[in-house]
Amino acid sequence: MNESFRVAQKLGLMFKPSDPLPKDIKAWASNQLQAPSPALGQAYKFDPIEPWPINLQPNLKERADMWRLFRENVQKERERKDGQETEVAKQANQQNNLMRDKDELKFAHRNVFGNDQLRLRFAAFWANHFTIGNTFDTSSMIGHAIDEAIITNLNGDFANMLYKITTHPGMLTYLDNIWSAGESSQHTKSCRKNPDCQAGLNDNLGRELLELHTMSPAAGYTETDIRNTARVLAGWGIDFEANTEEMLKTVKTTNHWQAFKPRYAEPGTKKVLGKTIYAGKNGLKQLTDYLASHEQTTTFIATKLCQHFVSDEPKQADIAYVSEAWRQSNGQLDAIHTAVIERAIATDEAKFIWPMTWLFQVVRISDATFFKGWEDIYNYDEDIMNTRKIFAELGQSFWSSRQPDGYSSDKTEWLSAEMLERRIRFADAIYSVGQTKQSVSEIMDRLGVNDNTRNLVASTRSKRHKFIALMCSPELMGLSYA
Amino acid sequence: MPNIKLDRRHFIKASAASLFMAGVPIAGYTKDRPPGNIAVILLEGGMDGLTAVPPIGDPDLLRMRASMTPTDYLPLNQFFGLHPSLANYAALMARNEATVIHTTSFPYTKRSHFEGQNLMEGGGLSPFAEKTGWLGRALELAKLPGRALSLDMPLILRGYNDNDNFFPASIRNSKRPDTELVDLIAMSHQADVGNFFNKVANKSAKKVNIPRDAISLAKYAGQEMARSDGPIASVIKVKEFDTHANQVADNGEDMQGRHAIQLTIVDDVIAAYREGLGEAWKDTIILTLTEFGRTVAVNGTRGTDHGYASAGLLAGGSISSSSVIADWPGLRKRDQFEERDLMATIDYRSVCAACIERSLGLDHDQIASEIFFDPQLPRLYDYIFS
Repeated sequence: MNESFRVAQKLGLMFKPSDPLPKDIKAWASNQLQAPSPALGQAYKFDPIEPWPINLQPNLKERADMWRLFRENVQKERERKDGQETEVAKQANQQNNLMRDKDELKFAHRNVFGNDQLRLRFAAFWANHFTIGNTFDTSSMIGHAIDEAIITNLNGDFANMLYKITTHPGMLTYLDNIWSAGESSQHTKSCRKNPDCQAGLNDNLGRELLELHTMSPAAGYTETDIRNTARVLAGWGIDFEANTEEMLKTVKTTNHWQAFKPRYAEPGTKKVLGKTIYAGKNGLKQLTDYLASHEQTTTFIATKLCQHFVSDEPKQADIAYVSEAWRQSNGQLDAIHTAVIERAIATDEAKFIWPMTWLFQVVRISDATFFKGWEDIYNYDEDIMNTRKIFAELGQSFWSSRQPDGYSSDKTEWLSAEMLERRIRFADAIYSVGQTKQSVSEIMDRLGVNDNTRNLVASTRSKRHKFIALMCSPELMGLSYA
Repeated sequence: MPNIKLDRRHFIKASAASLFMAGVPIAGYTKDRPPGNIAVILLEGGMDGLTAVPPIGDPDLLRMRASMTPTDYLPLNQFFGLHPSLANYAALMARNEATVIHTTSFPYTKRSHFEGQNLMEGGGLSPFAEKTGWLGRALELAKLPGRALSLDMPLILRGYNDNDNFFPASIRNSKRPDTELVDLIAMSHQADVGNFFNKVANKSAKKVNIPRDAISLAKYAGQEMARSDGPIASVIKVKEFDTHANQVADNGEDMQGRHAIQLTIVDDVIAAYREGLGEAWKDTIILTLTEFGRTVAVNGTRGTDHGYASAGLLAGGSISSSSVIADWPGLRKRDQFEERDLMATIDYRSVCAACIERSLGLDHDQIASEIFFDPQLPRLYDYIFS
């Protein structure tokens, strides 16, 4: 591939036929970090591209209200009240009040239609680094976290993103923090008087904050550090079902992202790896700032970034370069991302592309139509599968119920006969129903594919096979440029 | 507390699981069919051995964790009971077709899911030390590579040689890949990747409609394993044992807590295996695997945090005499590991080794040194199978 497409494959989502190819790809790549980032999409397939409607992008409060209404209707369904037990009412309840399907389609649209392809790739990296698995209770929050905690904060510093995602109700719910109470908190103390009441510390989020989100076990922290981290976190978050009255009473705000229950907080200062953290709501920011600035956090995440964008087995020089940019900038994400971009461009080996990233790239370079419009989410379409089903069959979705360590960037985790058959079949489906506006030879010419790819395509017999062969070639899968 | 308000059957039906099958004999390569089948149930998240098999005879149990202990446990002997969710399993114990190993763990004490899972599947000497899994290496040694039934290839089944995998695709408007096309694509790739593409080409054209819930998967796996040309090994993953919260339900009715629900799935999975296996049950060993047990103390959110020792549930006709095998360390603070967790006194690798020895007919010393890289690994075979 020519340099433009090599860079766009490794770091972006490839250029659509309507995109002019940049003259200076390096300048383009770093400018992309500042690209405007509206969520683009279409109301119906084949419609013009426009920004997603505001009413399909509710804020947290609206999401919480819908979630509460959903739960109330489910309760009525059980009690067979208000006609909620009918199939029509059940379906309407899910479609009107749950956000998962809309959010997942919006994410797909962004990636297919967006003019901010590099930002979206970095967003996907961080959304995976800070995995919020779908426990159903979190299903209406994952999309909000990706948009508002990750994408909105892509140009700030790592410490800010870390704080925003740690306090996001999606994360606090996924890793159980909303139920955790300090052992000496008012809540736990009063609870002890009642034999039916239980209260205490839950270290799930505290452990992953250290192990996965920041310093990794290589930092040598102890079980006590984990417990103390959980004590700092105790009090943060409230059940998404809590109503306005309850929120005003317990957390003095109706903003779920600011919800801190003083009665659940552990009094007194805490020590995490020797650092003193003060009691109260502000202690968490003090802790996440400390973790964000820790040298082990720098090297752990610099390594992960290089594994994702540069090479499955990045060189020490690549990691050192990104780590140095991190230190020099005090964790400024623009500086860190720029360093990753420079190393990815400088490395001439291919980098394996995730299944979902590959799918977006195939749709973009062939100008295919493979996702429904937002008005059509719940309607059957004989050509186009439901978005949820597409990602389930592909074996990768940010809305799946997955473990907090997220998806691996390493190709060995993804190479199996079955995963490769999915690539063939999706290429087939995109060709068969996507109404691609680019022929295989036009795509190959524009990308400047290598001889190996051209020979492969030439050896196949039908147009359909040529399309599949191109998309499943070593070059287009990011497996080899040779 | 999390919303566990679905009724139990509905939840179990809805809960997706993954099935992996391997060790399909390949004509001309495989030696004679080995003496038995082996099925592994991966309990992801950390199963609480003290909930599944409560040591009722230990006076400290009720003192330490009354709210976690079912009152209607099923007595096994004077010391141990079974959680009421494991009713089928209790019947197997009564028929001398099941054995519990308690106070056991892989040799790993750091309480990270991801390191722990890597170790329980990889079976190496330290987390992330191995790129292959212990069952994959065992099938390799037994000359039984072959296909796995899954979308991805779980670490536990990866071997030195090439395992194969398949899982029925349901991608609208796509056709079964054309053999000639796939061959061409395979040739364009480097050998390691091309090898995987070749397997796509060789995939059976047979249409298989496989359910996705754990219980139907287990029955299907049992039926496949019962066939003379079917897989020797299968792995089913059951998730959501990581019960930091709501391990028991907030109304105090234990049967509705998350751990009770998950144990019911395990119980039904074992029963479904038995049904699917039919006659082949008599030569089969099923074992559970989990990355760690959970804290002795309750954490205050009706749950428990990551711990050390847990229990392993073994079942199958390969067992001839039921027992609870344990070297009980006690539950008092000073008996606990790091004053927090149930101490492990049995190395679970020895349990895996015994199951390999029984089902694949390999020699213990070879299993210890070539599969677990630890020639000193104790042999537990006689405790379990005689």
